[in-house]
Amino acid sequence: MKSLDHQFKHLYEANYNKVLRLCLGYTSGDTMLSKDLTQEVFIKVWQNLESFRQESSISTWIYKIAVNTCLLELRKKKTIGISDHLNHLEQPLENTSANMDIKLKQLYSCIGCLKPENKSIILLELEGLPQKEIAEITGLSHEAIRVRIHRIKNELTKCVKNDNI
Amino acid sequence: MTTFKDLKSQWEKQPEQNTPKDGPELIVQKMNILKRKQGIANFVLLTTVLVLIGFFFYIEAHNNATVTLALLLMISALLIRVIIEFFSIKKLKEIDITENSSVFSSNMISYYKKRIRTHYIVTPIIIILYCAGFIMLLPSFKDNLSSGFYIYIKSSAIVVLLLMVLFIRKQIKKELIILKGLSN
Repeated sequence: MKSLDHQFKHLYEANYNKVLRLCLGYTSGDTMLSKDLTQEVFIKVWQNLESFRQESSISTWIYKIAVNTCLLELRKKKTIGISDHLNHLEQPLENTSANMDIKLKQLYSCIGCLKPENKSIILLELEGLPQKEIAEITGLSHEAIRVRIHRIKNELTKCVKNDNI
Repeated sequence: MTTFKDLKSQWEKQPEQNTPKDGPELIVQKMNILKRKQGIANFVLLTTVLVLIGFFFYIEAHNNATVTLALLLMISALLIRVIIEFFSIKKLKEIDITENSSVFSSNMISYYKKRIRTHYIVTPIIIILYCAGFIMLLPSFKDNLSSGFYIYIKSSAIVVLLLMVLFIRKQIKKELIILKGLSN
């Protein structure tokens, strides 16, 4: 039990920021909501840690939990209106989290417009995961991921450009 | 000219957040709260069942066929509800969140479809059984209780029934929205 506690603490410290950044992508930069989601992800990591079978790397395993948790929780929160989570994007810059610049906000906003599955794919790509790993996390074929990433990259770049005009 | 490389570099330049020092401890705390919440709902239902059983023996209902049947209906309705909730929570916990997102999503869809079916078919039957049992008890209440208390029982039952229906309606709506979101 002690070693499991120790392993969990280590995983938490090593992956907290990665998971939080992914959650920020799902919530369009809502820090409070993302921190809640990150905590939810690590609750599940803790609950499932004993059954981790080492069939994939521990980071792929954590990403799977993070993607599933974010998608599910955000769909549940839709009952109180997803627009509530996006309202902060309309606020003046000084009211939003300190260092979030306008470009990053545009990127968040454009990611927010994507379909849930595409959102997961591009967030994992932005995190620098290899396509093979993204395929493993999403359950799609490597080829499908390759084609989708190409398409989403174009869609995202176009969206950010349009916002800049 | 913005390229995807620029977007990626923006993404990577995001300021790092401080990892909460007491994070792992808070997680254990939150899990204990969650467990307690899950227990409370079933505790309330089971207490009601026990009160009904206690009432059954207190008024020596076993000597009266109508009262026996009425209480049996009410107790079974509540017990069926507790058992369904118990297995539903068990089933939800068995859904593996460490699966890939396609498999996880389709497992969640089939779980919520089953939940909706339960809400639409089993829940109304349970409410009808419970109400039927209660209505069968009314003459006995009238004979054995003061008129003031009898009126109180009748009117509070209507309020409880209305609240129950509203609560279940809200729950069904919430689960339908989740199902819709998952199916998109």
